[in-house]
Amino acid sequence: MNEPIVRIQSITKQYKGSSQPAINDLSLQILPGSVFGLLGPNGAGKSTLVMMLCGLMRPDTGSIHLLGMDTKEKGAAIRKRIGVAPQEIALFPTLTAMENLVYFGKMYGLDIHTINKRIADHLEIFGLADKSHKRVHTFSGGMKRRLNLIAALLHDPGLLILDEPTAGVDTQSRNILLDFLISLKEKNISIIYSSHLLEEAEKICTHIAIIDEGRLVTEGVPAALIEKHADCPSLESLFLKLTGKHIRD
Amino acid sequence: MKIIATIRKESLLLIRDPGGMALIFLMPLGLVIVMALIQDAPFRDYQETKLEVVFVDNDKDSLGKKIQNVFLQSPNIEFVQESDSNKARSVVRSGKYKAAIIIPAGASESLRKKNKQLIARIFANLGYPGASNDSTELPTANILVLFDPAIKINYKQALASAVEKVIANVESEWIVDQLQNQLRGNNSSKEKMKVDFSGVINVQQQYASKHTNENMVLNSVQHNVPAWTMFAMFFILFPLAGNFIKEREEGSMLRLRLISGSQFPVMAGKFLFYFGICLLQFMLMILVGIFIMPLLNLPQLGLGNNIIGILLTACSVAMAATGYGLLIAVFFRTPQQALSFGSISVVILAALGGVWVPVYVMPEMLQGISRFSPLNWGLESFNNLFLRDASTLTILPDVLKLIVFAMITLSISIFIHKSRTIS
Ligand SMILES: Nc1ncnc2c1ncn2[C@@H]1O[C@H](COP(=O)(O)OP(=O)(O)O)[C@@H](O)[C@H]1O
Ligand SMILES: [Mg+2]
Repeated sequence: MNEPIVRIQSITKQYKGSSQPAINDLSLQILPGSVFGLLGPNGAGKSTLVMMLCGLMRPDTGSIHLLGMDTKEKGAAIRKRIGVAPQEIALFPTLTAMENLVYFGKMYGLDIHTINKRIADHLEIFGLADKSHKRVHTFSGGMKRRLNLIAALLHDPGLLILDEPTAGVDTQSRNILLDFLISLKEKNISIIYSSHLLEEAEKICTHIAIIDEGRLVTEGVPAALIEKHADCPSLESLFLKLTGKHIRD
Repeated sequence: MKIIATIRKESLLLIRDPGGMALIFLMPLGLVIVMALIQDAPFRDYQETKLEVVFVDNDKDSLGKKIQNVFLQSPNIEFVQESDSNKARSVVRSGKYKAAIIIPAGASESLRKKNKQLIARIFANLGYPGASNDSTELPTANILVLFDPAIKINYKQALASAVEKVIANVESEWIVDQLQNQLRGNNSSKEKMKVDFSGVINVQQQYASKHTNENMVLNSVQHNVPAWTMFAMFFILFPLAGNFIKEREEGSMLRLRLISGSQFPVMAGKFLFYFGICLLQFMLMILVGIFIMPLLNLPQLGLGNNIIGILLTACSVAMAATGYGLLIAVFFRTPQQALSFGSISVVILAALGGVWVPVYVMPEMLQGISRFSPLNWGLESFNNLFLRDASTLTILPDVLKLIVFAMITLSISIFIHKSRTIS
């Protein structure tokens, strides 16, 4: 069996001034080549976990290893090898799509030919080629999401971490996105992907973990999980059974 | 490479921010022109306006002529002739003129008589024959100098002492003249010697700078151009902090943090870009001082001769201003906090530093405090260079203070920024 690319060992994280931990004694392993769905209702702690995975936030206790490196010590080295699309749109609104991507490419230390080639390829895939010289603040929510994802792909990372990449995105945009993720899966790129939308997770994830209130509720292969809970015909009903029906925010 | 990319990015952000552009380039331009125009009159008043003085000569004799001759040579006082002393009083009382000199009829004659009597008494006292010891009280001639109550105290003193000096001079001449008369007795064959006291001791006045240059006087332009340049350079904290915090809030800074470990190129790029903007502002303002001010009937800005010193000062001010802006940007969490604290603090530092009014007209206590304002260090240095043609060594302490200030603010901002990168 391969070494896990992510090994999370009983981490806890509590924000300053908050009464409950955002992540509570959570352990998890992710194997290479998987599309790993990090599922949970709003406020479950998905984004907090993502920030800790890329080393921009430190767990209070426990440890996280990515690609065999401790995020506490090797944060910068880890970030060079992973691509992250954060939940918030991380782009300069007054720059054009092209200007944003070129700048990020240069900050990754790539040469201009590589940058231009990768930008052109990805703009094409995500249907933004004809919008490349428009400023980002004129973009729709879906276009911004797609661009936000391209910014995470410029340096050809082996592990992709996406935080709610389909939030606020219409069906067309979502399909482009999911198709693209499936194509990455075929290239054996590992993907960690957080969402509160179960259907799409069921469609593309090889593994899932359901978290709620900072704790791991269950994890495994989607089909196996559904089989285990005979009363749940879909991931969604399983999710509701495990996390309860009360509203979170 | 990454730094250049960041500089390019910053320039795109600024160019697309018309508010920021206006604040950086148009606001200081407007400010410096308006302030130079407004302060032109007070500055002239302070040191170079001509004072118009109403002159009433009812004497029509040598005393009146002497006084007039002396003031004719003075560049700062101009006589307005008037014959009616009552009218002279009323124009001064109404404030139309700031002062009047009234020489009553017979003033010369009375002075002459008094001298003659005085000398005669001295001679009689020494036992000279023919000298009469006449002790009748002769009337004193009253030369009247009238002032508008609103006149500046230094004008008043200058005018009064000038009149006294002229009278003393005339008196001495006449005493010598009278002495000669008395000593000569009836022997009138010898020519009398004409004595002029005015040249006995000559007090020469000069500005204590190496090169005499007509511009090198603190006038409205010499004060306002460097002063508002300093202000403008420190005000770049507005676009700097504004964009910085926007990046933090809008998430693009998160993207940069996700890209790599070191934030150095990001910070260095920002610093260099705004440093360059400061220098651009400086050049713009100097050009306004040289080319635009004369078009507005204001004096032209004089730069002195120490170009190295000027560049050194401009660079150190630019560094200090950028450092301060970065500190404000990383320290505050919201743009409202940063921009209101930032702009108020710059206005206060500017006021203390002598941007609004020169430090030397401030109360003593404030003058002491003003030495703590970085704007004052820069302004002091520019004044030294422009007005006193100072050497680089002279301005070095102020330049070093600015550089140290820049280093401290920069290190603190990098420290804060780093500590917030990972939470
Ligand atoms: N910066 C913060 N300060 C304090 N509490 C926070 C902060 N960010 C998130 N939280 C809290 O931590 C919990 C987990 O949030 P988050 O990780 O964003 O959840 P999710 O991404 O699953 O919606 C929530 O209760 C949220 O209110
Ligand atoms: Mg989230």
